[in-house]
This record gives sequence, structure tokens and C-alpha cells, in this order.
Amino acid sequence: MATSPVTAEPTPSNPVETRLRDLRPDVSPVELIARVVTFERRDVTRRSDGSRRPLVSGLLSDGTATVRFTWWDPPREGIERGLVLRAVGAEVREFRGRPEVTFSWKTRVGPASPAELPRVDAGDLPFRTVGELRPSDEGFRVEARVVRVAPKSVTVGTERRVVHEGLVADRTGAIALSAWSDFGLKAGEAVRIAGGYVRGFRGRPQLVLDERTTVVRVEGTDLPDPAQLLTAPPRSIADVEAEGGGEAVAVEGVVVGLLPPSGLVFRCPTCQRSVRSGICRVHGQVNGQPDLRARIVLDDGTGALTVNASRADTERLWGVTLEEAEARLRNQPDPSLLEEQMLETLLGRRLRVRGVGTSDDFGVTLAPESIERVDIDLDAAAEELTARLGERR
Amino acid sequence: MGLREPAWRVTARELESSLEEEKGEGDRPATYLLSPFAARMNRVLLAGTLSPAESIGRDEAQAFWRARLSDPTGAVAVTGGSFQPRAMAQLRSASAPRPAIVVGKVHLYRGRDGVGYVSVRAEAVRSVAEAEERAALADIVRQTLDRLDLIERVEKEPDLSEESLRSQGVPPAWVRAAKESRNRYPNVDRPAFRRELANAVRRVAGESGPSRATLPTPPTVVVTRAPPPRPPAPPPSAAERAEESLFLDQLEEVADVSADGYADLKEILARLSAHGLPGERAEAILNRLEEDGTIEEPIVGKLRRA
Repeated sequence: MATSPVTAEPTPSNPVETRLRDLRPDVSPVELIARVVTFERRDVTRRSDGSRRPLVSGLLSDGTATVRFTWWDPPREGIERGLVLRAVGAEVREFRGRPEVTFSWKTRVGPASPAELPRVDAGDLPFRTVGELRPSDEGFRVEARVVRVAPKSVTVGTERRVVHEGLVADRTGAIALSAWSDFGLKAGEAVRIAGGYVRGFRGRPQLVLDERTTVVRVEGTDLPDPAQLLTAPPRSIADVEAEGGGEAVAVEGVVVGLLPPSGLVFRCPTCQRSVRSGICRVHGQVNGQPDLRARIVLDDGTGALTVNASRADTERLWGVTLEEAEARLRNQPDPSLLEEQMLETLLGRRLRVRGVGTSDDFGVTLAPESIERVDIDLDAAAEELTARLGERR
Repeated sequence: MGLREPAWRVTARELESSLEEEKGEGDRPATYLLSPFAARMNRVLLAGTLSPAESIGRDEAQAFWRARLSDPTGAVAVTGGSFQPRAMAQLRSASAPRPAIVVGKVHLYRGRDGVGYVSVRAEAVRSVAEAEERAALADIVRQTLDRLDLIERVEKEPDLSEESLRSQGVPPAWVRAAKESRNRYPNVDRPAFRRELANAVRRVAGESGPSRATLPTPPTVVVTRAPPPRPPAPPPSAAERAEESLFLDQLEEVADVSADGYADLKEILARLSAHGLPGERAEAILNRLEEDGTIEEPIVGKLRRA
């Protein structure tokens, strides 16, 4: 506390800091210690005289929960992501069913040391199942099997960082994992994860492990076998739609259509986005690189979803290579013909697709890990159907 | 969620038996055709033998083609217009019957006689090898049997919840369709329909050849009404002439504002009843006017002055 000139003495009415998960809208003011997760500066125009009043708003976390905060008339400098601060006399309000804190002129705010953050003892955290996890959950423990994990290099702002992305699962479900520190995770091992949090990423929950998260290897006798998860039999598309996609989705259906753009597309050489009229959304005028893709509408009679097939998958399913497609385009300069010819090959074809399903306003889209053609054994089908008809005779 | 309508796997027979419609919800509600066998269809997938298409469009700019898809259980008209140019091109491309798969939207037209005619507006059509047609038929029969089984379950255990069926892999939409089918078609002989599927199974097994598409074109869109032979009618009374002219006025008013230049019969009847002319009387006038050649009905339900 010596580091902070503004929090000299705790007020007698609030002798202890409140943990964020214990905030109640009817208990104010409070004292708290938390880390700034995100923030932005804004100005609000006063209605009375039109003058502008600055504020900072964002998210605070102390490892037990994350809450929104609003800081009126904040200092001009010194607020940054990751800063741990102590606030005495913060107001708690409820907004859309969740508590929020407000720092006003009555609140004394100053920097604090990360060591002062509430000690979140992993043993204290409640156990959750993967199926129960929802975006913005934190302060829980979960035991799960690592189905797969792989490092990936990403750019955050100007900084290159390595994130370990993967999938973990228990008997209740599977969830994407994104670890910003290397926990040495390996596919197949069972782990107990404490102190992570869940965020929504492209319409799906994702379990995030940061530097405060602890990972312990466990026996995991009750956890599913990863192979079993990756070879699970297909589910009905209606089911997948109802769940808004999923991490390890397997479906089987027939191609009933293609969505544009399918066929020959041109991509930005820098970011791989598709280029329209020679213009990339991000990089402006570029020399687009040709690529082949198919946006397949797969339908199993219960529902329909979109499968975004890569060049390799498209070439294999269509039987036409990128070079051949380009040659066709030279002879027949109408790109929509290519899509038509592709549909001519694919319509009605039965496919089994595994991959990651995300959802948006247009339904579920599957980023396929594998697309297999399925051929029905007609004799076996006839036998099965005859038997089913016969049951009632 | 699920903005795209799934393609229900149905046989031609099931489409032929479907007479009940239902509007969906939302801003632009879709129309669903309810079958007696637990399908609530907006889009369908069919497999069978597709006949060569014939043009039924009057207008060069608005081409409209129709073919007939026959499977071992029945036949249904498949149409394609300039709004689905690819499907139309596919329909037009063949000069002989061929095995094909059709994906399209169902359309129910209910004639004045109360008879419903179902057709499918093709969105995608593909000629396939016979093995593919049989494989698609296997899928169709399997899902049809699944739905028939579901109706039976719902009948036997009315308290079965959507949730418990969902956990067994039955889509909630199917459960609702099954319940609705039972309500709308209380007296349908489902076991008989089930037996009819045996023909389709024989086709899957390859024991029967392709379905013949030699039957006359189903009367889905165009019906020419043959005037019944009748003794010459007495000259119309003044009151009857007044009613006739009211009819013709309404017809012209409706035709003036319609997109295709035809007057919709339902609308005329509605207007006439607002003028105090009941349905049967209006029908009698319509018959008289058609008989003496004052008006014609080139498309069922669509009238114009001759």
C-alpha cells in the first residue's frame, strides 16, 4: 500500500476489499483491487452547458470475475492495460443484470501491486463442466481432456506472440482453448484448469488461459478418449444448428446448392481475403492471386449448413484443378459458368464433413477438417428398407 | 437460427397427398406445405425420372418450363422460370426422359373444385446416373419411414416431449410436423401409404426399371376447362345481366392492377361478396360467361376477357 499515495488508509466502513464476484448492487461503496483488462477513453457532452467531460470505461478483473467500470474525470496518463489498481469508495450499480462499478470524485483510485490482488486459491474455485461454460464466465475449475493443441504465431498490435490453440473436452461437451502462455499441453492428457475465463469468439465460447491460470495434470479416468471425439458419428444438422455449431462437428448430407462466391476467386496476396474488382478490403488495390473454393450447402433433410471447402478439397470433389479452371475461364470468360459446372458435378452428392462450426445470422458455417464422399451401398439399403417395411405386415 | 429451409426428402406420392398449407412466422413468412406423413415442407428433394420439359410461358421475356418427375410412387410437375435460369436451363436441356435429382420449393395451387395441385419450382436440377437416383431414393424412403414411425410414436405416447425426442436425435421440427399432420389429416390411411413405399424399395434394390414418365402432364398449372354439353340456356334476365356486368367490372378492375394482366378469381369472388353476391351465384355467372365465350380462364384461377 506504500506504493499508492491515494489509498493511505482503508475507510473503517470498508475494512476489506470486495472480490469482484461478490459485488452486489445494493452494497456500495466498496473497496476493490483489480486489473484493467481493457479500457477506452471517451468524452461525454454535458447536456446543461455543452461542455465535455472525459471518462474511461472498460473491464476490470481480479481473477474471480470481470466487471465493466466507468471512471469519471480520470487522470490524463498512467492508465494502461494490465494496470492493477485499488479503488476506495467505488459505487456499484446494476446494468442489464450484471454489476458494474463507477469511480466518481468520491472514489480514491491509485495503483496497487499485482501481489495485492485477491489470492484466488485454485481450491476455492467451483467446479464446472465444459457444457456449462458460457462467455464471460471466470473463476472456475474445469477438468478436461486435451483433444488437440498446436502453437500458432499471431500479431497482437505490433507484437508477435505465440498462442497455443486447441480443443478440450469432457463428457458434457468440447470447447476451443486458447492459451497465451505455454503450459506444455499435449494432446491426450487430462488436465485440471483453474482460473481461466471464457470469451465468445465467432459465436462460439472459447476457454482462455492467461498467465494467472494454473494447469495440473490429472488422472482423468472419467474423461472421453480424444480419438472417440474426433471420430464421433455424424449428428443431425438440425442439432448442430440448434447448438450454433460446435468444436468437433460431424455431419452427413447431400449437396443441394452452392453459395457465391464458389469457383474461381482472387485473393489478396497479403491477407488472403477475397478481392473484388481488384480491391482488397484492407490492402486496397492488389494483384489478386487465383484460388479455387466451394461454398457448399449441405442438407441432411433436417437442416442445412454451409461448408467452406478449400482449394484442395474443391479440386478433389470437383475433379477440376485450379489451372484447369483458369484455362476454362480463358476459353469461356464467364466466371459464373464455372460455379454452374461445379454444381453440375456436386449436386446430390453425399458428403460426410467434420470440422469447426460457427454461426451467424445466416446459419451455421463449417470450416472443414475433412470432407469424405459417402457412397450408399444400394443392396444393403434396400435390405434395410425392406426389413423396415416388413415389420408392419 | 436455421434460416435456410431444409430440403425434405419426399416421394411424389407424398406431395400428391398434401393439401394443407401453413404460413411461417417473421417478416417475410415462408409458406409450408403440410403432408399427411409428418413433413412440413418449403423446400424438397426428389429423385426419379424427369420427362423432357415443355414451354408453358406465353411471354418470350418470361419463359416458364414444366417437366414431370415420376418416381415409383407417383408423379409431380417440376417447373422452372426465368427466376431460376440454371434450373430452367437444366429442365430444357433434355429431349428424353432421364434419371434426375430435383431440389426446389413446393407450391400448392388449389383449384376452384377444391382439388389441390402440388408442383415443385426447381432451384437445382441434375441428371444423374441410375445408381445415384436409387441412392437418393433410398435416402427419401428412409426419411419417410422415419417420419411415419415418428407419427406412430406420437400417437402412442402423446406426452412425449420435444426435448426427450431431441435427445434421441429427432429434430423438434419433425415432432411438430408429426403432431400437425395428425391434426390436419385425422383420417389418412398411413399403413396404406407405407405399403406403397414397397415399390420405391424395389427400385432401390434395382428390381424395377426407371419410372415411366409417359403419363399425361399433370394438371398443375394449366387446366383447360372443357365446357360441359348443356341444353341452350334461356336468355338471361335483366337481373342476371346486371350481375354479369358487375362481374365483368370487377374482373377488369382486378386485371388492371395485376402484374400479369390476369384477374385472380379469388380476388374477384371476394370483391363480389363485398357487393352482396354470394359465392355460388358468382360461380354460376362465371360458368355462363365462360360458356358464351365472354371470358376465358387460361390458367386455373386466372381470368381475362376473351
